[in-house]
Amino acid sequence: MIMVSILLIAFVGAGGTCLVGRGNPRFRGLVASLVAFLPLIILAFLYGRVISIDYASVPFLDIGLSLRLTPLSWFFGIAIAALGGLAIVFSISYMQGKERLNYYYSMMLLVNASMLGIVLSGDFLSFYIFWEIMSWSTYLLISYRGKQALGAGLKYIIMSIIGSSAMLLAIGSLYISYGTLEIPSLATALQGASAWYALFVLLMFTIAFGIKNAILPLHTWLPDAHSEAVSPFSAILSGILVRMGLYGLFLLMFSVLGLNTLNRLSYGAISFNLVLSWVGALTILFPIFIAVLQDDAKRLIAWSSIGHGGYMILGIGVATTLGIAGGLFHALNYAICVALLFLAVGAVEYRTGTRDLNKLGGLMKRMPITFTGALIGSMGLIGIPLTNGFISKWLIYKTLILSRYPFLAFAALIGTWGTVLYGYKLVHNVFLGQLPEQYKEIEEVPWTMRVPMIVLSGFVVLFGVLPGIPLKAISVIQTHLGMTRLETSLFGMPKAIGELNTLNIFFALLVAGLIAYAAFSASRRSRRVSQYDNYAAGARVPVGGYQHSVRFYDQADRIIRPYLRDRIDDFYGWIATQSTAFFEQLRKIYTGNINTYATWIVLFVAVLIFMGLLGWRI
Amino acid sequence: MSTFMRVVWIVTLPVIALLISVLFLGLFRKITARIQRRYGPPVYQPVIDLTKLLTQHSNISHGVMFDMGLIIALAGSVVTVLLIPAGGIHPLSSSGDLLVIIYVMLIPVLGMALAAGDSGNPNASLGVSRKLILGLGYEVPFLLVLLTVMTHGETTSLVNVVQMQADSILSWGVFRFPLSAIATFLILPVMLGIHPFDIVGAPQEISSGPQVEFGGKYLALATIEQALQLFIVIALFVDLFLGGAANLGTFFLKMLGVFLIGIFIGAVYPRFRIDQALRYCWKWPTLFALAGLILVMIIGG
Repeated sequence: MIMVSILLIAFVGAGGTCLVGRGNPRFRGLVASLVAFLPLIILAFLYGRVISIDYASVPFLDIGLSLRLTPLSWFFGIAIAALGGLAIVFSISYMQGKERLNYYYSMMLLVNASMLGIVLSGDFLSFYIFWEIMSWSTYLLISYRGKQALGAGLKYIIMSIIGSSAMLLAIGSLYISYGTLEIPSLATALQGASAWYALFVLLMFTIAFGIKNAILPLHTWLPDAHSEAVSPFSAILSGILVRMGLYGLFLLMFSVLGLNTLNRLSYGAISFNLVLSWVGALTILFPIFIAVLQDDAKRLIAWSSIGHGGYMILGIGVATTLGIAGGLFHALNYAICVALLFLAVGAVEYRTGTRDLNKLGGLMKRMPITFTGALIGSMGLIGIPLTNGFISKWLIYKTLILSRYPFLAFAALIGTWGTVLYGYKLVHNVFLGQLPEQYKEIEEVPWTMRVPMIVLSGFVVLFGVLPGIPLKAISVIQTHLGMTRLETSLFGMPKAIGELNTLNIFFALLVAGLIAYAAFSASRRSRRVSQYDNYAAGARVPVGGYQHSVRFYDQADRIIRPYLRDRIDDFYGWIATQSTAFFEQLRKIYTGNINTYATWIVLFVAVLIFMGLLGWRI
Repeated sequence: MSTFMRVVWIVTLPVIALLISVLFLGLFRKITARIQRRYGPPVYQPVIDLTKLLTQHSNISHGVMFDMGLIIALAGSVVTVLLIPAGGIHPLSSSGDLLVIIYVMLIPVLGMALAAGDSGNPNASLGVSRKLILGLGYEVPFLLVLLTVMTHGETTSLVNVVQMQADSILSWGVFRFPLSAIATFLILPVMLGIHPFDIVGAPQEISSGPQVEFGGKYLALATIEQALQLFIVIALFVDLFLGGAANLGTFFLKMLGVFLIGIFIGAVYPRFRIDQALRYCWKWPTLFALAGLILVMIIGG
């Protein structure tokens, strides 16, 4: 009952917010936040529980629809509800005065509700229904701003439909083969399946989930969609929505098929997991360096989002205890960091009206909290020790090296340096350097926008210093799925796994920092000077033009850019252009004349009858 | 190691590292001068410079990050020193392995970058941009080398790597993975930012790059931070390839040897351009490192 109530609150609340907004717009934000946070509170109390209920049945297919709470769905559910809620709170000020707000809020809540539905689904039919609700409501939100956003939305929905079709094919085939779509019963049934059939199901689902999680070469919708969406939604989109693909893949690989079946899917030295790991490694390598070349802050984060998805795929691809824990943990960490970055960039856009990395600078002095958020978010992405991103990356590297995959580990490690490059570029070009004259008077964003950033920053550091908190939840998942679980303590790893003690590093850095600060303060106090009191080789410092941010990494840019063209996107674009010509021709059968349509129908029926005469069964 | 000794070493090791690295700075200036047939300053000149800078009357600051970045960088360097085994002493190594060291080494880089960025001087930003590009250059061979060592030993712990070389001279890394050792030696001047790769702080073109706005105590702390970086990189090389050492004395002698060879090569070269440096790093060092890794993969651990 409690599971149904979570979804009821989420779905009814989405519609209800629209009604409240029509009645009295002043309560809209408050109601939306309540609707978003209620599932979080209910879910938090269900930690570690496994509940399963049937909520409906489909008589003509003879299957039941069920909801199921497992540690895995709890883990993702909490992330969805928390990020969704914070994004809604951020929206209250961010979206103020914009048009069609009832539509915006109900769509945001609908996306959240459908994601909760996905992770709580106990069978693949419910899963598919919620998946489609998510895809379509996402489409509506991406296109919310109109103009270019329409194109981005179209690209997204076309790729989404291709993925959904692949998934539907697999689901249909599962139903025909086993007569059930319940996840636990399918898990048992598929143990006896042939390797080819298992591979077919897995590949079909991988297409659907790969498009959502934007793995190479199915990633092309993401950069457009992320940069065109409004910032609070970008945070959800990049933070958690694309990770529904990861959730699906994880569910299928480890909950439905299981490690035994996965191990059977190999031909000589090549196995499904190895191929998946390599796809993950390439997904890290190219997108992260493409991110370095971007000049649009949101596009930069979008490419980084594809790249970091690669770490998660790599983690679950190697499928060791550490790898799985690292992959799942990285999904959570990345969600927190990227949401933080999108909100910070959104805050900058809210105040300055631009997110062009070549036009900003020096905003740290005007927006210190936004700066801190962006800084901590970037540090988390890079994986500086004492941020959460470090722990998950450490787990992934460790397992890759010990399982003798040094080349995969290399792709992951060098990806970090790419992250350093674009992370610093983002922080520098927006917040450091000289403050342009026109932004001299801007103020920090309102508190409803500050609070989500502060909360997210807090979690980046909390999970970095005390990684045991989320890793405990992950080891519960591993136990539930019958895998070896990761042994952790609150702050680090036991000796058997490796040398890592975040608390010691934390105190060492703290004490060293304090000593350095003492040395710093012991000498003479410094005098604060203006940004124009600056060295310019004796010349007067020009106002507004003394900044290095355009083509920040020019020298490297020239060398690496030729290798980083997104040829896959070009290829899809080429297919789209070619098929446009074909469909232009096909369109001519719609003449607008009722007689023509009648002819088509008669012809179609004639073909059916003819096939029936030949004895074909349809 | 008892807890008491550990605490003693945690306090003394950074101090020793600081003294050694300041001595290296002095040696560096003196030897380079002698190679170029100048007389050069006395070896203790850096001590005089640092004292002067720290007691300077007037200091200017450009903002909070300008101050904080420097302190973060220093703290990061000190913690890195504690994580790297030096002559059998490794007070903090059970809290972090080689992977942690790779990431802790980023803290000083980013701290300096943030301080330089906040100075609001395009020369500083240019310097940082160069530093990070150069990092992209040397990290490719360097990570390959580290992966070779870690894959070979099937461990990620630097202490274990050092222990494996303890048997005899022939078990030193330089004889086990000669290709990787060559690759690392080739990128050593790039990592240290000395001739011919002193691109980041190029005084003539970009007014000392990231340090352009630093003066007084800021310059002093930045110099100390740089000196510690010198210590870290060379100590890492000794631990990876020259078998570490059983005591601090031998360890520093080995470090000195590596450092001197580095200077002898560096002092006679002019400066490379940044794109030349990038291409250099991705050519021979990377090839050597890659060959070393493939060899280890084929032959096995």
